[in-house]
Amino acid sequence: MKTPIAASILLFVILITALVLGVTIGSVQIPPKIIISLILDRLSITDIAIEDISKYSTILFDIRMPRVALMALTGAALATAGATYQGLFRNPLADPYLVGVASGAGLGATIAITTNINSNPLGLSAITIAAFIGGIITVGIVVMAARVANTTPVTTMLLAGIAIGSFATAATTLLMLRRPDGLQRAFNWMLGAYLGGGWSPVKIMIPYMVLGSLLIYINARALNVFQLGEEQAQQLGIHVERLKILLIAAATLMTASAVAFGGLIGFVGLIVPHALRMMTGPDYRRLLPCCVLGGASFLVLSDLVARNIMAPRELPVGIITALTGTPFFIFLLRKLKRSVF
Amino acid sequence: MIVITTVPKSHSNSKIFSNILTVILILLTMCSCKNIESLPYLNISSREDITITDSLGREITTVSSPEKIVSLAASNTEILFAIKANTTLIGRDEYSDYPLEALKIQSIGSLYPQVNTEVIVNLQPDLILAAGITNPDDVTALEKLGLTVFTTSIASDLDDIYKDITNVGVITGYVSNANNLVDKMKSRVQTVQDNVSTYSITPSVYYEIDASEPSKPWTPGNGSFIDMLITTAGGTNIGSLSNDLYWQISLEQLIYQDPDIIVLGSNKYGGQTKSTVLERPGWETLKAVRTGQIYEFDDDLVSRPGPRIVIGLETLANIISMSEYSQ
Repeated sequence: MKTPIAASILLFVILITALVLGVTIGSVQIPPKIIISLILDRLSITDIAIEDISKYSTILFDIRMPRVALMALTGAALATAGATYQGLFRNPLADPYLVGVASGAGLGATIAITTNINSNPLGLSAITIAAFIGGIITVGIVVMAARVANTTPVTTMLLAGIAIGSFATAATTLLMLRRPDGLQRAFNWMLGAYLGGGWSPVKIMIPYMVLGSLLIYINARALNVFQLGEEQAQQLGIHVERLKILLIAAATLMTASAVAFGGLIGFVGLIVPHALRMMTGPDYRRLLPCCVLGGASFLVLSDLVARNIMAPRELPVGIITALTGTPFFIFLLRKLKRSVF
Repeated sequence: MIVITTVPKSHSNSKIFSNILTVILILLTMCSCKNIESLPYLNISSREDITITDSLGREITTVSSPEKIVSLAASNTEILFAIKANTTLIGRDEYSDYPLEALKIQSIGSLYPQVNTEVIVNLQPDLILAAGITNPDDVTALEKLGLTVFTTSIASDLDDIYKDITNVGVITGYVSNANNLVDKMKSRVQTVQDNVSTYSITPSVYYEIDASEPSKPWTPGNGSFIDMLITTAGGTNIGSLSNDLYWQISLEQLIYQDPDIIVLGSNKYGGQTKSTVLERPGWETLKAVRTGQIYEFDDDLVSRPGPRIVIGLETLANIISMSEYSQ
């Protein structure tokens, strides 16, 4: 890719294509003619004369579209958060789950499942809310545990994240073993949240996405400077401690909502930022918008494969992200032969 | 899970998970909740509609004698076939593999990680028969899409199964077939109970659910459905010393309990046989292994709360009575 502009245009085209494919292809084949007339009808451009296509309308507008939208938001959130953590920790192995969001969300969800809370506030399941809160609380504990004399060294945070993450995972496993009646739901949840919830998860996720990605984007320049090292950044006028906390808070909000609604999907947050960095270069001002586009496209396409490759059986999307993402990433590595960092 | 946790830090976690995954998969098909006590009552308000309370305590209104039913559980599919209501069945989950004719009905795919709502909407069923094992999120999602879902119970005893069969009979319009089936099942259970009452001893039984870790295999605990069946069949379940419905017994504890009979429910899905048990280190000290009282057993007969549960009970009773005579 010659210029970042070309890269962003290409990514935008890919995203639009992914969205169109995601909505038009599914385990039930809907003739393209019907899809077009259904959409025109929904936009009140024409009225449909054909009877008995209400089932297609339900499939298209109430099942596929919200799911594609949810996957796009989740992918965008994970890729953006992943890029942020990689920059913040200056570690190519960093991913959005590094500081305990995933294990915390898993624990929250399992607690909700095993205690049989069945209320549905805000039209969301208690499991979703518990996962979101669990993820945020865990990161909060990690950051507090890592704080040494008013600074939060990234290595300490990394270690605290590993320790507290393991603790949460152990607690989750214990709960699952003690309450086998909750095993199935807990296991299902870990395979990828619940993706059949209609539009309400999408509506609730949007504000977190917008807020989180804006907060990160306005600090893109600071993130660039941060790559020189913490001391250098400090000397160049970056308020390092404030930046760290702000970025972690923003990335955590995005990741926690992504995990709570879209599920524990691996790989997106690790590989997409790297792949895009190879295409656009390391400047965060360009990389972050590309992560939104690229992450969304990658997850929408992966979900498309997950829904269709063994139809009517659906596969957990995490399997597809790893199976397809790895060869693509290795290809990029070999083709560009350029150091990522 | 290995896929999901790709960060180096989670290698140890993913090992823990992968170890329990096998077990989870086995347990997925088992209904293990405490029963939600609800007495379904019938209220036939008109010739058109039936209102009936399902196991989730919700009043479900549906057309009487629905023509298009989708079953989301193997137990429900078996009930529909047993009461000859299978002509109404237009879709089934992929685990509904009995009787063999069921395989001819269109599969709506797996139940995990979630049901494929798209395929179900496309079939336009009048009624969806969910079960205790169905994820409540799936029930909510299907109802949001305007479909009628009736949920059978998380059976914890035989009465729950009778109730489910009767309810399915009422809701499908095959009332007399359902009543006949329940009567037949009750009399077969009675026969087993009559035989058992003549036994002088109750042999101890170790029922194996899963032995992917032979040093601590999974066994049903006190209050589980299998525990109840073993007791009814004239045995004592050694797993009942724990109040966890399903738990991992240590080899140490197993040797201490020294069961008279080993029943391998781990045969069909876990591939455990008499010979694999003989190869397990430490197991040769068990009395049941020395006397050859090891039986391979079709776990479907006790894990699906449907009509075949009586066959499961009779098979267990036969195994236990054989041991009875040998002593």
